[in-house]
Amino acid sequence: MDLDTDVQMEDAVGLDTTLEEEEEGNTSQEYSFSNRFTPKDGHAPELSTSSIGQLDEWIEHLGKCQPLSEENVKKLCQMAIDVLQFEENVQPVQVPVTICGDVHGQFHDLMELFKIGGPCPDTNYLFMGDYVDRGYYSVETVSYLVAMKVRYPSRITILRGNHESRQITQVYGFYDECLRKYGSANVWKLFTDLFDYFPITALVDNKIFCLHGGLSPMIETIDQVRELNRIQEVPHEGPMCDLLWSDPDDRGGWGISPRGAGFTFGQDISEQFNHTNGLSLIARAHQLVMEGYSWSHEEAVVTIFSAPNYCYRCGNQAAIMEVDEQHSRQFLQYDPSVRPGEPTVTRKTPDYFL
Amino acid sequence: MAEQNDDVYPLALLMDELKHDDVANRVAAMQKLDTIALALGPERTREELIPFLKEVAQDDEDEVFAVLAEQLGHFVPLIGGSEHAEILLPVLEVLAATEEPVVRDKAVESLNEIASQLSIEQIKENFYPLVEGLADTEWFSSRVSSTGLFQSIIVRVDETTRKSLLTTYSKLIHDEGPMVKRAAATHLPKIVDLLRENPSCSNEEDWDLISSMFQSLTTDKQDSVKFLSVDVLISILQFFNSRKDVSHHQDLLNSALQLIQDPSWRVRYMAADRFEQLAVQFEGNDQQVGELIEPFLGLLKDNEGEVRKAIAKQLPGFSRLVKKEVILEKILPQVEELSNDPSEIVRSALASEITGLTPLLDREVVIENLLPIFLTMLKDEFPEVKLNIISKLKVVNDVIGIDLLAQSLLPAISDLAKDKQWRVRLAIIEYIPLLAEQLGVGFFDEELGNLVLSWLWDPVYSIREAAVTNLEQLAKIFGSKWADEEIIERILKTDDTTLSNFVYRLTSLFTLTRLIPVVDKEIVLDKILPFVNNLAQDQVPNIRFNVAKSYLVIVQTLLDKIPGEERPVPDDIESRITYVNKFIVPVVETLKNDSDSDVKYFATQSYDAIQKLVAK
Repeated sequence: MDLDTDVQMEDAVGLDTTLEEEEEGNTSQEYSFSNRFTPKDGHAPELSTSSIGQLDEWIEHLGKCQPLSEENVKKLCQMAIDVLQFEENVQPVQVPVTICGDVHGQFHDLMELFKIGGPCPDTNYLFMGDYVDRGYYSVETVSYLVAMKVRYPSRITILRGNHESRQITQVYGFYDECLRKYGSANVWKLFTDLFDYFPITALVDNKIFCLHGGLSPMIETIDQVRELNRIQEVPHEGPMCDLLWSDPDDRGGWGISPRGAGFTFGQDISEQFNHTNGLSLIARAHQLVMEGYSWSHEEAVVTIFSAPNYCYRCGNQAAIMEVDEQHSRQFLQYDPSVRPGEPTVTRKTPDYFL
Repeated sequence: MAEQNDDVYPLALLMDELKHDDVANRVAAMQKLDTIALALGPERTREELIPFLKEVAQDDEDEVFAVLAEQLGHFVPLIGGSEHAEILLPVLEVLAATEEPVVRDKAVESLNEIASQLSIEQIKENFYPLVEGLADTEWFSSRVSSTGLFQSIIVRVDETTRKSLLTTYSKLIHDEGPMVKRAAATHLPKIVDLLRENPSCSNEEDWDLISSMFQSLTTDKQDSVKFLSVDVLISILQFFNSRKDVSHHQDLLNSALQLIQDPSWRVRYMAADRFEQLAVQFEGNDQQVGELIEPFLGLLKDNEGEVRKAIAKQLPGFSRLVKKEVILEKILPQVEELSNDPSEIVRSALASEITGLTPLLDREVVIENLLPIFLTMLKDEFPEVKLNIISKLKVVNDVIGIDLLAQSLLPAISDLAKDKQWRVRLAIIEYIPLLAEQLGVGFFDEELGNLVLSWLWDPVYSIREAAVTNLEQLAKIFGSKWADEEIIERILKTDDTTLSNFVYRLTSLFTLTRLIPVVDKEIVLDKILPFVNNLAQDQVPNIRFNVAKSYLVIVQTLLDKIPGEERPVPDDIESRITYVNKFIVPVVETLKNDSDSDVKYFATQSYDAIQKLVAK
C-alpha cells in the first residue's frame, strides 16, 4: 500500500515539547504507585428529567454534525466529570458489547459505524480512544460521544487514547479546530481537562482487556493498573504513558518504540500477561490496519481501527468487534460513509484551466 | 470609544487600523467599512472616505483588496443613492486591474451590481468609458476584467454605442493573450442570451459580428479556447430559434459537427456534455437531427473515458429526438458495448441513464434488447453500477410490467441479496414491497419468502432494520394471516441456540413489535405477548428496556390508541383495560424497579404512558 509520505501517519511525541508546564505539578515522577487514584464510591447521581431532555436535545443536534455552543460544552463537560470520576482505571464492562478503535474526528464515519453496529443504547459500545485530531470534525465527534456517555453511562464506555491529551492535540488538529470553530481555546481547554477523567483501560467480563496502546514493562497485573493515579495529563513516560502508547511487535520481549513514547512488546510478553491475569485477549487500537482489524501474537492481541480511509487518504477499511454473551467474536468491516450532497468523485474531472 | 461621536473619529480609526502591521487586522478593519460609512454619513463618505479608499486600493495586500471590492458593491445607498454612484467607479476600476483573480472577480461583480442601479445617462457618461478603457489597457488583467462588464450595459445603450461595444468585444475575442480570449469566450453566451431576451436590441450587422467571433473561436489553435465555443453555439442557436429563423441552421450544424469530431478530447468532452442541449436546437428538422446520429455514435466509442462518460449521460435526451428504429438499430448495439466498458465511471454513468431509454421503446424491444443489458449491469463488479440500475427500475416496470421484470430479475435479486456491499443489499430490500404488491402472495412466498426473513439476521444493523420495515410493509400488503404464518410462526420457531445470541433476540423483538399494530389482536395476545413476556427477565438490559417499549405498543393497540390514528373506541373497552391492568401493568412495574438505570428509565416512560391511556 502506498501512502502519501507528506502526512505522518504514525504519531510521535517530541515534535514540539514546548508545552507549558503542568500547573498541578503532575510531572512524570509521580508514576510511583503511591499516589493511587480511588474512584469515588457509589454511582453518579441519576439524571434529572430536565438533564435527560437537555442531553437528548444535544444528541439530536450533534447527530446533524452541528457543534454545541461553548456554554453548552461547558455544561456537558461538567456533567461528564460527574459521571467519569466514578469510573475505575480498569472499568468493568458487561457482554454483549461492540468494541471500537480510533475515530479521529471522522464524524460521518462514526455515524456509519452506528449504522453498521446499531444505534446506542440498543447496542452497547466500548470505544478505545482517539476521538480527536486528524479528521475535520473532532469537536462534533468528541461532543457526541461524551453526550452519549453522560446520557447512557451503562451503555457506552469511552477510554482515553494518546490523542486525548493537551500536548498531542496542539500538534495534530483538535486545538486548531476548536480555535477555528469557537474563536478561542476555551472549548479545547474544557475537553482536555475532561480527558484527564477518562478511564484508561476496560475489562470485558474479566476476559478481554481493552486499552488504547498496549502493555507496559512496569505493569504485570491488572491490579497494578488500578493503583495508578490517572487524573492527569498523559505523562511522557511511565506505566500510564505506556498503556496509551505501546504497540505489539513481531520481535519478542520489550523494545524501544519508534514513536518516542511507550514500548513495543512481543508475543512472550502478551502471553505472559494474559496468563497471569486469566485473560483470553488484549484488544487495542492505536495503529492503522488496512483491513480494519488485525491479529497479533497468535490471537493473543487484536488491533481494531475504526476510521475508514484514515485522514481521508489511506484507503483502509474500518472495523468493529462484536462480542456476544458467549464471548464469540464477530468483526464487521466497513468503508467510508457516503456523504449526501457531496459529489462522489471517482476520478479527477478534466481540468480545463491548466 | 468615548469619542465615538467625534466627527473625525471613525475615519481616523479606520486609517489607523488600515495601517496596522498585521494583515488580519487590516482585513477586519475593511470588513467594517459599511459601519464607518454609515457613521460618516453620505456626504462625508463621498468627499472623504472614497478618495481615501482610492489611495488604499493602490497600496495594500490582495486580501484587503478583495474585501474592499466586495464592500463597494453594497455602497450605493451609503453614498446617498444611485445619483452619486459613479464616484464608486474609479476605485473599482483600479481593483479590476489587479493581477489577483479573486480581487478582479469581486471588483467585476461589484461593478455589475452598481451598473444595474445606474441611469442610462450615467452608463453613457461613466460606465461605458470605463469598460472601453479597461478593454484597451496594455496589461492583460484589465482586459480580462472588462469582458465581464459588457453584459451589464449591452442592452441598455443606443445602437451606435452597442456597435462599438461589440467591436471592442470582437477585439477581445481576437486578443493575443489566451487568458483574455478565454474570458471573452466564457462571457459571450451571456451576451448572446441578453440579445435574445431583448429582441429589439440587435440588428444584422451585430449578428455578423457575433458570427465572426464564433467562427474565430471554433478555429482557435488552443483547445482551451475552442471548447468554450460550444456554449456560444448553443446560445446562438437559441437566439435564431427564438426568432423562428432557421436560415443559418445548416451552417451552425456544420460547426457543431466539427466541434463534436474535434481532434482534441477536451472539445469533444464539452460537445458530449452539452449534446442534448445542442441537438434539441435542431428538433423538428429530421434531416439535421439525422446528421447528428453518426457523430453521437462516434462519441459513444470515443477513446477517452471522460468523453464516453459524458455522452452516456445524454443517452435518453438525444434518443428522444430520433426515430425508434434508429435507437434499435444504431444506438442500442453501441449501448451494449458501453455496458462492458473498461472504465467503471463510464459504466456507472450509463447505469444511471440507461433505464431512461425504456419509455422510448416498444415493450418487446425493451424485453429483447434492453433487459439483457440491465441484467449484465446488475452483475457489475462495481457497486455503484448496480445501485444506479436498481434505483431506476421503476421506469422499466412501467413499460414491461412487473411479472416479466420479476422473472428476469429474481436470479439477480438472489445474488444481490448477498452482495458484499451492504448498500446494495439495502437498495434491494427497499425495492421488495413494490415487487410484492405486483407479484401477489403465491409467487412471492415461493421465490422470496426465505430471502425476506434471512435479511433479519444480516450482520449489518441497517440491513436488519430495513428487513424489519420490509416485513411490516409486507404484512400490510398480504394481511394478518400471512404475517402470522410466514413471519410470526417462523420467528417463534427459531431455535434456542440461535436465540442465545442477543442480536437475534433483539431483532425478533423489534420485528414482532413492529407487527403489533398491523396484525389481528388475537395474534398479539396469543403469540406476540407471550414472546415479549419471556424476554422481560432477559439477562441483557438492552432487551429489557426494549421490552418495556414493546408493552406500550401492545397497550396502545389493544386500546386502539395508536398515535396519529383516530379509531373508534371498541365496545369491550372496559374488559380490555382490566386485561391490561391485570397482565401488563405489573410486569412494567417490575421493570420500573430494575437494577439497570436505562431499563428503569424506559419502563417508567412506558408505565406513565400506559397509565394515561388506561385512565381515559
